[in-house]
Amino acid sequence: MSSQARGKLAFRFILPAFICMLFVHIVPIFLGAYLAFIDLDIYTITQWIRAPFVGLKNFIDVFSVRTDVGIRYLRSIWNVVYFGLITIPAGYVIGLLVALLLNRKFFGRTLVRSLILLPYITPDSVAYNVWRFIFQARIGIVNKYLLALGLINEPILWLVGDRAIYAVMIASVWKGWPFACLILLAGLQNIPQELYEAARIDGASSFALFRFITFPMLRPVSATLLLLSAIWNFHAFNQFYILLGTDPGKAHVPSTFILQEAFTNLHLSKGAAMSVFLTLVVLLMTVVMLRLRRGEGE
Amino acid sequence: MRWSWIVRISIIVLALLTSMTAMAQKSITFWLMPNAPDETHIPWLEEKAREFETRTGYKVNFEIIGWGEAWQKISVALASQTGPDVFQVGTTWNPQFAATGGLEKIDLTEFGGNDAFMKANYISTTYKGESYGVPWFAETRCLFYNTDMFAQVGVQPPATYEELKVVGKKIVEKFGEGSAIAIAGTNAWDLLHNWAIVLWAYGGDLLTPDNKQAAFNGEAGVTAMQWYASLILDGLAAKACAEYNQPQADAAFINGNVAMCFMGPWNIAGIEQENPDLPYDVVEPPAGPVKRASFSGGSNLVILKGSSNKDIAKKWIEFLLEKGNLVDYTRNLSHMLPAKIEAFEDPYYDTGVWQVFKKTLGYATAYPPLAVWGDIENAVVQEFRNILTAVASGQYSEDTVKLYLDKAAERVNEALARER
Repeated sequence: MSSQARGKLAFRFILPAFICMLFVHIVPIFLGAYLAFIDLDIYTITQWIRAPFVGLKNFIDVFSVRTDVGIRYLRSIWNVVYFGLITIPAGYVIGLLVALLLNRKFFGRTLVRSLILLPYITPDSVAYNVWRFIFQARIGIVNKYLLALGLINEPILWLVGDRAIYAVMIASVWKGWPFACLILLAGLQNIPQELYEAARIDGASSFALFRFITFPMLRPVSATLLLLSAIWNFHAFNQFYILLGTDPGKAHVPSTFILQEAFTNLHLSKGAAMSVFLTLVVLLMTVVMLRLRRGEGE
Repeated sequence: MRWSWIVRISIIVLALLTSMTAMAQKSITFWLMPNAPDETHIPWLEEKAREFETRTGYKVNFEIIGWGEAWQKISVALASQTGPDVFQVGTTWNPQFAATGGLEKIDLTEFGGNDAFMKANYISTTYKGESYGVPWFAETRCLFYNTDMFAQVGVQPPATYEELKVVGKKIVEKFGEGSAIAIAGTNAWDLLHNWAIVLWAYGGDLLTPDNKQAAFNGEAGVTAMQWYASLILDGLAAKACAEYNQPQADAAFINGNVAMCFMGPWNIAGIEQENPDLPYDVVEPPAGPVKRASFSGGSNLVILKGSSNKDIAKKWIEFLLEKGNLVDYTRNLSHMLPAKIEAFEDPYYDTGVWQVFKKTLGYATAYPPLAVWGDIENAVVQEFRNILTAVASGQYSEDTVKLYLDKAAERVNEALARER
């Protein structure tokens, strides 16, 4: 078969997938981006093709501290950044500690390695619903234990107000650390044992081994892991939606806020503008990650 | 040979298309919410659809959509003008959907005229003075009380909101903190309905009479909200109420744990199912310093503008509103109240608790029929949640209510400025 014929055949194989991608991903993305530049709301939803073009107005509104939507969107961005700043390092540290333990040889290691994946493989809807019950003020076990230990005098509300985001953080760290552990464990197993042996001969302590061999050798894996977690965190939705409901109030993150603005309040263009920004941020992070991986390859 | 196959396939396709078109022309699609348990609701709908088909020759394809997904599904149907021919909408949704231009304007004289319906339900169908729906059934909330607990304390059901607190304190003395009343908290989507009745009773209103400005942050609004917050602050309601949704508050009463709760007629079925021995009775909502007020909700039936079967859709609405069907549906299935006045001629509504609901619905108020109502309700409810959170977290002070109501008013005025 000539190379031209092979090329044609390959094109035919790719074509169905490309058509699906075109209509399921690419066209909606560009259509969504177009919506961000028109005024599509409750008044124009039935005639969206004729909705007026408003240029950058929607973007200005959603980033303005003078509009209600702007204040709340900026707050949601801050929330997701704050959420990431706490949950990503927390998940990383727990994952690393457990990976270090699991990298040692002990009886039942394979079983433990499988068991730690349980939170990660539990569907979000199941895990976060359980956490919702755990944090319930009246029947939740968190308050039950805190009361029994005498740390609080009366049940506290975890899922509303300022504490809500911390409740989501706890649930998210619980759900996310096994993934970090899995990746870091794979990284640990790729570190050549000779390095440790040589260092031990030189009299290096366990801490020195970690500081000068393990941690530096994990850097590429860690960088990819942290960036991947940052991307996932930026469009965090399930945990907030399931734990805090359709209106997380002060704990809105961009994804939940966009859902509310676009589909509940029918401010579809503002929702589209917010989504475009979210997409650009995630895209930027993805480019950084790909560059980083290319750097590793070289 | 090849041509003969092409001709055969073409004929089959044509026949299929023709029969599908014929089928499409002879049926209408009806979307409604789970107004009753499926095991009774679906057989009733099937039976009525059959009856309608016999009468008109048109089949009714009904689809039951959960309340949680209904808003978005209807929004899509309005945007695409495809899907149902006729569908159910909540009363507060009707004007908002009318503003999209996707609903068919309805002349209510075809259904007996405006006066044939409960006033608040008729208002809920309007947008800029025109009707875009037909009232189907209504709901209003009254005060349910545990007769046994009241008898043990030796008190009568409260006639005013101040009296409710006096009675509540006596109940708390006997049964402990949080036992007087269960109220909806931050997780209740219908939180506003709970406060609006107190606000109106205290002489306040949500908006100015011209619907141009927020009015709920005035003195009456602040007092009414302070009254609501005081139920938790004074220990009449449990602190956990601050995060309750309405069903959690209802459950606390139905389980017999608390003495009072504002609930609707649909809760009666819940009591009969979950705790049939519960000793309870129902009275009108207490009066405030200015008047006695209640909220009117329920559902209307609307027609999609893009429907090609509008006349049949109207006939289906007429059919559902026939006295026998309406009484049967509200009385035996949805446990709501009919929105059409003639249905109240049924003696059932003059018995027991139903006469209380009937009387209360008579003076119940609907929210202003505005396109931006969703934004308004969201704004008020979100700041209401902040007040309840402050109450529950011990951060509540004298200024809390005014602070958050002013914030809500700012947001509401911003939304009202967008009303065309």
